[in-house]
Amino acid sequence: MGYIAEGVVTALKLLVRGDPETYSAVFTTLRASSISILASLVIGIPLGFLLGYYNFPGKRQIRALVDTLLALPTVVVGLVVYALITRRGPLGGLGLLFTIPGISVAQTILILPIVISLTATAISNLDIRFKRTVMTLGADRRRTAITALYESRYGVLAAAVAAYGRAIGEVGVSMMIGGNIKWHTRTITTAIALETGKGQFAMGIALGLILLLLAFIINWILQIMKRKT
Amino acid sequence: MYTSAVFEIKNLKRQYGQGFLLDIPSLVIERGKSYGFVGPNGSGKSTLLRMLAFIDEPDEGTIRYHGNDSMGERGYVTEDRTIRVSVTMLLQEPYLLKRSVFENVAYGLRTRGMRRGLRERVYESLNMIGLNPETFSHRKWSELSGGESQRVALAARLALKPDVLILDEPTASVDRVSAHLIKEAIKVVRKNYMSTLLIASHDLVWLHEVSDEILRMHEGLIMGSEEDNFITGPWSLEDDGLWSTTLHDGQQIRALKPPSPTSIALLNTVSTIVTTERPDHLSAQNILAGRLMHIYTFENSERVKLDIQVANLSLNATVTRAAVRALGLMPGLDVWVVFKASSLQWQ
Repeated sequence: MGYIAEGVVTALKLLVRGDPETYSAVFTTLRASSISILASLVIGIPLGFLLGYYNFPGKRQIRALVDTLLALPTVVVGLVVYALITRRGPLGGLGLLFTIPGISVAQTILILPIVISLTATAISNLDIRFKRTVMTLGADRRRTAITALYESRYGVLAAAVAAYGRAIGEVGVSMMIGGNIKWHTRTITTAIALETGKGQFAMGIALGLILLLLAFIINWILQIMKRKT
Repeated sequence: MYTSAVFEIKNLKRQYGQGFLLDIPSLVIERGKSYGFVGPNGSGKSTLLRMLAFIDEPDEGTIRYHGNDSMGERGYVTEDRTIRVSVTMLLQEPYLLKRSVFENVAYGLRTRGMRRGLRERVYESLNMIGLNPETFSHRKWSELSGGESQRVALAARLALKPDVLILDEPTASVDRVSAHLIKEAIKVVRKNYMSTLLIASHDLVWLHEVSDEILRMHEGLIMGSEEDNFITGPWSLEDDGLWSTTLHDGQQIRALKPPSPTSIALLNTVSTIVTTERPDHLSAQNILAGRLMHIYTFENSERVKLDIQVANLSLNATVTRAAVRALGLMPGLDVWVVFKASSLQWQ
């Protein structure tokens, strides 16, 4: 048991002293997941809005498909994206394999269903009196739609936070697409996997603490958002 | 005061609830007047008011607004901005947007593109409804009581200075103070903005104080104005050639020959005479004992409406303030209601 206590002590030293290798993994994680969350929000919020606000044929089927994709396994996304962006693949020319943008592309695919599904839920859960109320105040269709999105803002933010949580915590995509290259594409999760495998607990624990802290902050924000909705 | 029509309804039909049909062959709403709508739940009041607010559409028929057909192409609820922005409605269960009180009141003004003078208008509206702007404008929607929410929702409509203001049960879920403040605000709106008002309410005393005219609705029909009492049969022929129906306490109401034994008779409230002692030697065939339940007064009028319970029947009689004083009328007093058999009209 002594090695765990020793690991915690060393981990705290690494964090306090600002160990470059540890912080490199942290910043790589933040860079990759920030790009993917931005991309998934830009694509996902409009799609989620359309899915939640309007009625059209096939809506239920699309909704069921998106909800199924919520459980998309990270290794399957990793496999498909790898096959597409490998040198032999159709998108091989983009040079995305083993890069941070490459990780972000795969993560975006992974978390897009979360953004779409939770945004659609937030919009469709709007109070039924909402539409009539804004109509009585003179809103036209365009303004009614904009107001609907704004009224659902806490739900949409909750979707973003949940998606971000999944992006920073996943390991499959980062490992397969990023390749776990030190100083380059090594993220918190891939570093923990590697260091644990080597029996080097200190850095693993240090990164684990940061990951837990991030998860805690994200959950805390999520709770606030849920309370507001 | 203008007397031209704000709304002209022709052959309006609309399904609502479970199998009910709102059916209004003809109705004219005059400009600047205040109309009260009374009737039991499910009588079609809300459905009618929503259509007049252009947030719902009829199955058949037309609603003309200031002489213009309000329906868009293919019968959809109008998207015509000028119409939509001059009529506003306070729904039965108001909904506040998830933002501050100020932004809730300002929302309708912003949809109209108003930028300047926004603050003044919002503050004026909050003041009208008895909410101190300094205290309330920054409060969140979630920090208000039921009565305060209702008043904020009303303030959002008042801020629009609407041509037509429609209120659906505005006092149903509010405290007495709020009900009073809403009444005062309605009076100011009428005086300052010359708005036409359409108000549905179960609170009859309150409604009388804010209405010029009361329309009664029953199962999708407008059953005339409140000038009429309804007396249902069945009617049976008596030995003297008159027809009668018997009330629960055995008293009889006598009428001339009905079109059918189950016809409904109309009795105008001004055709009734009220006395405090039983009159003798009258030609009138109907002398009914009852108890005075309520006395309703009207805004700017010498008219007084009496609500008299005669057995199972609630009869209304219109008298003057002078008569109330002379007879010393007050609720709870036993009275006699007198009218001629020929005063009953058949529907």
